Amino acid sequence: MTSPVLDVRRLSVSYQTGRGTLRALRNVNMTVQPGRIVGIVGESGCGKSTLISTIIRLLAPNARIDGGSIEFMGRDLLSLESEAMRALRGDGISMVFQDPMTSLNPVMTIGRQMTDIQHRDNRSRADKLARAARLLERVGIADPAEQLKRYPHHLSGGMRQRVAIAMALMTEPALLIADEPTTALDATLEVQIIHRLRQLQQDFGCAVLFISHHLGVIAELCDEVVVMYAGEVVETGSTREVFLAPRHPYTRKLLECDPGRIEESTRHLPVIAGKLPDLVDLPKGCVFRSRCDESIDICARKPPELEGDDHCAACHVVGQ
Amino acid sequence: MSELLKVRDLRVRYPVAGGIAAMLDRNRPSYVDVVHGVSLDIARGETLAVVGESGSGKTTLAMALCGLAPVLAGDVRFDGAAMSKARDQHLRPDRRRIALMFQDPVGSLSPRMTVRRLLSEPFRIYSELSQDPDRSVLELLSMVGLSSDFADRYPHQLSGGQARRVCLARALAQKPDLLIADEPTAGLDVSIQGEVLNLLSDLQQELGLGIMIITHNLNIVRHVAEQMAIMYLGRFVEQGLSELVFQHPRHPYTAALLAANPSTNFDVVPERIELTGEIPGLLQRPAGCEFHNRCPRVQPKCRASFPDRQSSNGKQGWNCFHPLP
Ligand SMILES: Nc1ncnc2c1ncn2[C@@H]1O[C@H](COP(=O)(O)OP(=O)(O)OP(=O)(O)O)[C@@H](O)[C@H]1O
Ligand SMILES: Nc1ncnc2c1ncn2[C@@H]1O[C@H](COP(=O)(O)OP(=O)(O)OP(=O)(O)O)[C@@H](O)[C@H]1O
Ligand SMILES: [Mg+2]
Ligand SMILES: [Mg+2]
Repeated sequence: MTSPVLDVRRLSVSYQTGRGTLRALRNVNMTVQPGRIVGIVGESGCGKSTLISTIIRLLAPNARIDGGSIEFMGRDLLSLESEAMRALRGDGISMVFQDPMTSLNPVMTIGRQMTDIQHRDNRSRADKLARAARLLERVGIADPAEQLKRYPHHLSGGMRQRVAIAMALMTEPALLIADEPTTALDATLEVQIIHRLRQLQQDFGCAVLFISHHLGVIAELCDEVVVMYAGEVVETGSTREVFLAPRHPYTRKLLECDPGRIEESTRHLPVIAGKLPDLVDLPKGCVFRSRCDESIDICARKPPELEGDDHCAACHVVGQ
Repeated sequence: MSELLKVRDLRVRYPVAGGIAAMLDRNRPSYVDVVHGVSLDIARGETLAVVGESGSGKTTLAMALCGLAPVLAGDVRFDGAAMSKARDQHLRPDRRRIALMFQDPVGSLSPRMTVRRLLSEPFRIYSELSQDPDRSVLELLSMVGLSSDFADRYPHQLSGGQARRVCLARALAQKPDLLIADEPTAGLDVSIQGEVLNLLSDLQQELGLGIMIITHNLNIVRHVAEQMAIMYLGRFVEQGLSELVFQHPRHPYTAALLAANPSTNFDVVPERIELTGEIPGLLQRPAGCEFHNRCPRVQPKCRASFPDRQSSNGKQGWNCFHPLP
C-alpha cells in the first residue's frame, strides 16, 4: 500500500471550559490515501471542525491536544514549528471553511485577496488577476472580472463560498480540506462543485477531506466515509458499503433520518431519540449506549474499539 | 386560513459601487434590481419555502420584508395593514411580530455576549414577553435541544449547528407571528435538522405561526412546506403547491434544479439536466426570459419578451413560453 497523505492516530483534543474539561476528540484514527476523497459525517457538535482545526493547527486558545499524532506526507504536523506549519497551509494543505467569511477579508477586494494568495509567483499583477478571474469562472461565477473589484459583502452567501473554494484551489494543494463547502449553494452549483472537486482530484491527484451533513453529497462525491459520534470515530469504510450496509447502530439511525430517503411527505421527520452525551462528564463504556436499542451488558462497562479490515465499526454488538 | 403576509410586485434596487471608471462608462448601469417583481402570500399556520439559484435574491427578499433592504416598488401587507415606508425607502415592519433568522448564524450573534444574554435580549426590549427571563432562556434552550450549560457559552464556543439553534431560539423568544428563516437547517445533521423542523411545525400548529423558509436543502421542502417558490435572478419563475411542483415541474429551471439534488441512491444514475451557458449577472440582465441563455428549451420568442404567468387551476404557476409538457 502507498503511504497515506494524511494519517491521524489516536488523536485526543479537549477544550478548557468553565464547567471543566470538554473532551471534544478521543482516540480518533483516520487515514486519507493519495487521490482519495474521504467524507466525514456525524452529529452536529461531534468534533468534525475540531478535528480539522487540529490538522491545520488553528485551534481555539482554550483547546489542548491531549495525545496522538497527525502525519501529513510523512511529516509529523504536531511537532512542526508554527512557521513551517504556516508555509504548509500556504501550499500543501488548503482549507475551505463552513463559513466563507473565515477565509475572506471583509475590507479587501476579492481581486486583491486572490492576487495576494499568489505572492510566491513571479507573474505580473495583470497575469495574476487573469488567473484569478479564470478560477472564478471555473467555479461558476458570472462577470468574474467585475467581481474581482468587489468586496465580500457585495456578494451573496453562495458566491462568497465559491470565491473561497476558488482561492483554496489556487495553490493546487496535495490535500484540500473542506468543511461543509456546499451547504450555502443551490443544488445545480452543488453538483457542479462536486464535479469540479472530482476533476481537480483527477487532474492533480489531490486528496480531499470533505465534511457535509448532506448524505446525498457524500454518497456522490466520496470514495470513503468516516462516521463520527460524540468525539469518536464509530464507523469507517467505502461510502457504498457504509451507506448500503451500515454496521454501527448510530450510522443506521443517521441514515434513517435522511429526509431525502423518505418518499411520502410527512410533517414529522424521524429523529434519533435522546441527546449527545455531555462531553465534560462522559458516560462509562460506549458513548452511544444511552440512545442505542441494541446495547448489551458490556456496553456499559467497556468502550468499544474500532475493529474490522476495510469496513470498521466500534461496537460490541456487531463485533460479536 | 387567514392571511398574514401579502406581497405584490416587490422590487429591491441597490446602487452599484463603482469608481471613476464606472462613472465614465455610460453603458454600465448604476443600480442592480436584486428582487425584480415578487408576489407571494403566506397565511397563518402556513409555510412557504423559497428555493432557487444562489445569488438570485432570496436573502435580499427576506431582508426587504424585515426593513433591512431598500424597496423600490411594490405593496406589502402584514396582517391586513399596509406596511409603511421610511424616508430611506426601507419598509417599517413590526419588529416583534416578524422575526428573521439570519443566514450566517455566527455572524449574527454578538461575539461578546453569552448565549444567556443573547436570548434574554428580546425580553429586555419587550418586557411583556416574559415574567421570568432566566427561566424563559432555559425553556428556549431546551426547545431547540440544547442543555442549560450552553447559557454561559460565547458564540465562538459553539459548533456551527449549535450556533444555528441559538439563532432559532432567539427568533422564537420574541413570539413572532411570522418567522422568516434563512437557511434554518444549514449545518445541522439530519437528526437535529428533523428536530428543528418538527419544532417549527409544532409551534406553527400551536401558535398559528406563518413561516417563510429559504433553503437549498431540497430534501426537506416537501416535508415542511405546503407551498414553494423557485427564484431565478430576482423573480419567482415558478410557485405553487410543493407536492405538485416536485411531481411535475413546469419551468425548465425548476426541472434542472430538482434533478440536480444529490441522492444516496447508488444504483440509480441521476438524470441531470445540464445547464450550459453563463450564469447571467445582475449587471447584464438578459432581455426576454432571463433564463433563456441557459435553457435547454429556448425558442426565439424567449429572447424577446418575458413570459406572463401561466397556471394550472391556481395551484401551480410558472413563467415560461415552452414549459415542460
Ligand atoms: N472554543 C471552544 N470552547 C469550548 N467548547 C468548544 C469550543 N469549540 C467547540 N466546542 C465544543 O466542542 C464540540 C465539538 O465542536 P465542533 O465545532 O468540532 O463540532 P462539529 O462536529 O464541527 O459540529 P457542526 O456539525 O455543528 O459544525 C462541541 O460540543 C462544541 O460545543
Ligand atoms: N448591499 C448590496 N449591494 C449591491 N448588491 C448586493 C447587495 N446585497 C446583495 N447584493 C447582490 O444581490 C444579489 C442577491 O443576493 P442575495 O444574498 O439576496 O442572494 P441569495 O439568493 O440569498 O443567495 P444565496 O443562496 O447564495 O444566499 C447578489 O448578486 C448580490 O451580489
Ligand atoms: Mg463544524
Ligand atoms: Mg442567501
